[in-house]
Amino acid sequence: MIAPRPYALLAEITYRCPLHCPYCSNPVAVLSGDLEGGAPVTPRDTGSQELAPPYKAELTTHEWKRVIHEAAALGVLQIGFSGGEPLARRDLAELVRAAREAKLYTNLITSGIGLDDDRVRALRDANLDSVQLSFQSNDADLADEIAGAIAHQRKLDAAAKIRAAGIPLSLNFVIHRRNIDRLPKMIELSETLGAERVELANVQFYGWAFLNRAALLPTREQVVRAREIAIAAKERLADKIDIFYVLPDYYETRPKPCLNGWGQRYLTVNPIGDVLPCPTASSAIPDLRFENVRERALDWIWRESESFNCFRGTEWMPEPCRSCPQKEIDFGGCRCQAALLTGNAANTDPVCTLSPNRARVDAVLRDLNSASDHGRHWTYRINPTVTSLDRSIVTASVRE
Amino acid sequence: MHTTTISDAAQPRLAKGVRLQNDSATGKSVLLFPEGIIELNETAHEILARCDGRTLKEIVRVLAEEYDSDVAALAADVRETLADLHQRKLIELT
Repeated sequence: MIAPRPYALLAEITYRCPLHCPYCSNPVAVLSGDLEGGAPVTPRDTGSQELAPPYKAELTTHEWKRVIHEAAALGVLQIGFSGGEPLARRDLAELVRAAREAKLYTNLITSGIGLDDDRVRALRDANLDSVQLSFQSNDADLADEIAGAIAHQRKLDAAAKIRAAGIPLSLNFVIHRRNIDRLPKMIELSETLGAERVELANVQFYGWAFLNRAALLPTREQVVRAREIAIAAKERLADKIDIFYVLPDYYETRPKPCLNGWGQRYLTVNPIGDVLPCPTASSAIPDLRFENVRERALDWIWRESESFNCFRGTEWMPEPCRSCPQKEIDFGGCRCQAALLTGNAANTDPVCTLSPNRARVDAVLRDLNSASDHGRHWTYRINPTVTSLDRSIVTASVRE
Repeated sequence: MHTTTISDAAQPRLAKGVRLQNDSATGKSVLLFPEGIIELNETAHEILARCDGRTLKEIVRVLAEEYDSDVAALAADVRETLADLHQRKLIELT
């Protein structure tokens, strides 16, 4: 399998975050230990999945700069600085500057918390290309309840600062059952804030969202209505805002072309330097071993590693994908979803109605849509400051 | 989507947040923008490289001179390319 060149790097520079959103895509079994500050690195014990993984220190500024240069040399053209909350790292602007010097298009994916005047100025001076700011709702009460923190007003302030600095602004509203009916108000807020681009993105069920699925998955009625609202707004605001509406894929009949194929265009480097074909792969596919930029060159990892090659192309596909005319269109869907819902990442994405496992998705939808009283309880994301999170217990409660 | 007819006096510029760059992996020209990359053909590149405040009329005149081609035919090509980019919100017209 010859590796194509990658286009985009997602740099998850920290898992630390002031918010506790119950749909966070970060791993549920987070990883503990030394955080920012570069404690000595111990080689990873690859033998046992049962032990709490040694959460080594976050990559240092110097190591991230090396990763950025290696990515650019590999062909990467875009970098997204994400997390956790990337502003939690004081060297963010320095990393943005390094990425710009490597001619990468730089996008900051942020909650906005921590974005004061000084930092906006530093990011602007580093020539940051654009900011994607997340919102939990249009109104403070619900937004703060979802975030598990007093955050909404600070996000509004952050949006104003970004606009004032002249940095292009995208908004990302994360949609789920508790806020989906407020879509028109969210679109209104986007107009008020003067965003160039708005994503109305339904939660996809990985990480914490998978754990909290029963509280987050919208009903069919809600999804249908939201889609109509989004389409109408897209038309109405065509000259002002680019609106993207992302469906929750459980309601689809064919899977999403996840990542445009495994190991085809995207790579993620997580806070400790593990290189992932997909940001959710480390928690969704526990039996995959990921390489680390502290031990291997990024070029080798992209081209040669087993984790990038195991689902690259179409050779790995089982039936019904193998003989399916859609296999070069949806690439068998999402490996993480297959792993989470069927226990085997190499299965056809069970969202596909041709999958022998589609019944598992239907059962989830049936339970939800026939219930008269929907559960509201969710578990908030916790920060990676706990030192002895027992991974085996967490994994057991996530799997149904 | 609305299709725009671009006037001679219009000044096309890259939209906010859009960058024109050489892709060293292929030697081709690309447009980079939030969550997106477009590889440009030679024509689009030559046009966009001149979207620096000049009017459409001026861009056509310069290109016709450099490529020794017919102004009317070239103007149609330039308009079509720019209209496509405008519809994708990759250029602004002032």
